[in-house]
Amino acid sequence: MNTNLKISNVTKIYPGCVANDNVSLEFNSGKIYALLGENGAGKSTLVKILSGVIIPDEGKIYLNENNLKLNSPLDAKKNDIGMVFQHFNLFETLSVFENLIIDSDEQRESLREKIDTIMKKYNFSIDLDIPILNLSAGQKQKVEIIRCLIRNPKVLIMDEPTSVLTEQETSELFLSLKKFSEEGILIIYITHKLKEVMQLCDEVAVMRRGKLVSVSEIKNENIESLANKMVGQNLKTIKKKKAKTSSDQLIKITNLNFTSEDPFETNLIDINFSVNRGECLGIAGISGNGQSELFQVLSGEIISEKNSIEFNNNYIGDLNPQERREYLMAFSPEDRLEQAAIPQMKIFENVALNNFKSSNFFNNGLINENKIKEHSKKIISDFNVNTDNIELKSQFLSGGNLQKLIIGRELITSPDLLICFNPTWGLDVGAINYIHETLIKINEQNKSIILISTDTDELLKLSDKISVIHKGKLSKIMNAEEVTSEKLGILMGGAN
Amino acid sequence: MIIDINFIGLIIASIMASAVPLILASCGELITERSGVLNLGVEGMMIIGAISGFALMTVTGSLIIAIFGAMLAGVLISTIFAFLTQTLITNHVATGLALTIFGIGISAMIGKNFVGIPGKEFPVLFEGLKDTIPLLGPILFGHSIVFYFAFALPFITSYFLKKTKIGLIVRAVGDSPESASNQGINVRLVRYACILYGGAMSGLAGAYLSMIYTPQWIENMTGGRGWIALALVVFSTWNPIKILIGAMIFGGLTIIQFHMQAIGVRIPVQFLTALPYIVTIIVLVVISRDSRKIRLSTPSSLGKSFHKDN
Repeated sequence: MNTNLKISNVTKIYPGCVANDNVSLEFNSGKIYALLGENGAGKSTLVKILSGVIIPDEGKIYLNENNLKLNSPLDAKKNDIGMVFQHFNLFETLSVFENLIIDSDEQRESLREKIDTIMKKYNFSIDLDIPILNLSAGQKQKVEIIRCLIRNPKVLIMDEPTSVLTEQETSELFLSLKKFSEEGILIIYITHKLKEVMQLCDEVAVMRRGKLVSVSEIKNENIESLANKMVGQNLKTIKKKKAKTSSDQLIKITNLNFTSEDPFETNLIDINFSVNRGECLGIAGISGNGQSELFQVLSGEIISEKNSIEFNNNYIGDLNPQERREYLMAFSPEDRLEQAAIPQMKIFENVALNNFKSSNFFNNGLINENKIKEHSKKIISDFNVNTDNIELKSQFLSGGNLQKLIIGRELITSPDLLICFNPTWGLDVGAINYIHETLIKINEQNKSIILISTDTDELLKLSDKISVIHKGKLSKIMNAEEVTSEKLGILMGGAN
Repeated sequence: MIIDINFIGLIIASIMASAVPLILASCGELITERSGVLNLGVEGMMIIGAISGFALMTVTGSLIIAIFGAMLAGVLISTIFAFLTQTLITNHVATGLALTIFGIGISAMIGKNFVGIPGKEFPVLFEGLKDTIPLLGPILFGHSIVFYFAFALPFITSYFLKKTKIGLIVRAVGDSPESASNQGINVRLVRYACILYGGAMSGLAGAYLSMIYTPQWIENMTGGRGWIALALVVFSTWNPIKILIGAMIFGGLTIIQFHMQAIGVRIPVQFLTALPYIVTIIVLVVISRDSRKIRLSTPSSLGKSFHKDN
């Protein structure tokens, strides 16, 4: 049974942006296809069209020569197209089984049998009767995959599936995908991670700014050639110089504990570490292992015991974020639009939020707008934020530009320590490069960084020392040269 | 003092009767909220139900037309809410408040001609069995059909949500409308249906007040019961069985504090009147303290507008 999927001249236009510009592609079963592109290249729009979530303005889709009318996700399901979204489409408070039965017409018992068979066949082990919110990201993804497999799909689309997975989970996923492919399911794999494309796929289609740039076989490509196609220019690779080892201690955390009242948060247990001047300490881990709690404790969103944090010879554990900023700490939280900036406020207003006593943004309780605007313009030019309108609402900045603005806002006061949490999450290659360069520059100026990140490559590239957080506990602190991504993966999974 | 055991039965029955409108309205609102919609218009829908039921009964003389007419009136007024919040994507809170103000106003206007008109007697079931069992007789028998329905409703609601496919879909929509929509569930349709159902139950609760509990029309006769019903839903953590418990405590304390006032207990009246509100909330907070269960039963999308983009 051969499956042939054809996308023919698909166009989708949004106000001010052509998401898909006359895209035509053809896929055949037995192969794994990669759809590669930066954020905003249009790959997500294309797969949403294939899964019926978005209706294209023009163009047709053929499955085995039949013209498909995909007006809703239901149509895609009926036509044997299964899709695993990047952001899981699961109901967190419902049980695994309830999640699976909701779009199935089968009886409870026969569905259970079917799920059991699938789980046995592919070596999945998931308790069907616990709520989704108790599952790890990898397990959630398996639930999504099972949901597709129940319907015996001809086509399985995976949208950025590894962004939340550990190394081990990723290799498990790849094994499963290869097995599906051997069984005749046509697999389309969307990603911006080049390494994965090289590892997994047979053919690769590259998209850039809504257009299809190239279609080629993997054996004729390498990481550099794909990266250049994806970005459309030659990227310079950046590398960190080995830092001079300094023994001048800047921050020291001693026996820090945090017990949350929310059962879905992670408790921090006996955190101890120190960072010297000019050093970058990377903290690796699978998301949800206490990173966000650790960030909040370090930034002062959660107050801890006074003596547990010593910064520049001051005990600051009981200070709030603003007070900590006065001691020259700076923070870049994970969620740019929820925590770091207020999307509905203008750029210069967001800059003013980071308000120091020394910044003179306010005179006798009144806003000194000129001063703030001047300051904002300096940030925009110093940190390469691609806009000249500081009156723009920050929600209209792209992720990369917003992150540059936030990092710029934090760094313009030249703090001694920058604590950042997933600073390049969801950014495109160009912006990631810029942020990485900036972080390296900070270290070169003898300032320190605590980098909490779920991106292992990023950590290995930027850190001098690395520790892994697992279930709220830190592993011992290792020198970055001695660490490999495999070793980190094992520690992230909880082994010693 | 010798208290007749049947007298205790009668007091319990009167407590249950006073709990009926709360149970009806709460269970309706619970379904609405489980689908992610926060309708603060319960008080308004109840009072519309009360005047519609009473007016239809007086005009047509038919109790059946009156009861179903009151439910239909609840459905109609909640349709306004559904249209505004689901089709025009207005804010749930503001729209719900407007609905209550609208309901109170329009019911007073329609009700002008019905003030002082005596109600009709509503038929009760199993009247003859009342004296066969001591204590339990007056509790179990001799009530209206609406009464029995109200006490079955929490169990029906619980079964519906836990065991049926449609109940599962309602919970799914309340948990994540985005995921539900991507699964091919028509979120707007589900939410419309849940809002309309909530309206029907509020209408019925109102009709119970004006046709059965105190068969007459008095302006503003719901007296804040709609707000209590709303509070019950939240403090019961969206659990129908706990709604039943909360409604009984509230009804019980309301009745008891009347008796205490009548006997002349030396406690300030204001405190006695406030007692049901305070105790109900405290009890529900205490029995719903398990934060894990709260997380599992709280509709994550409650009060948030869902707009499908294409």
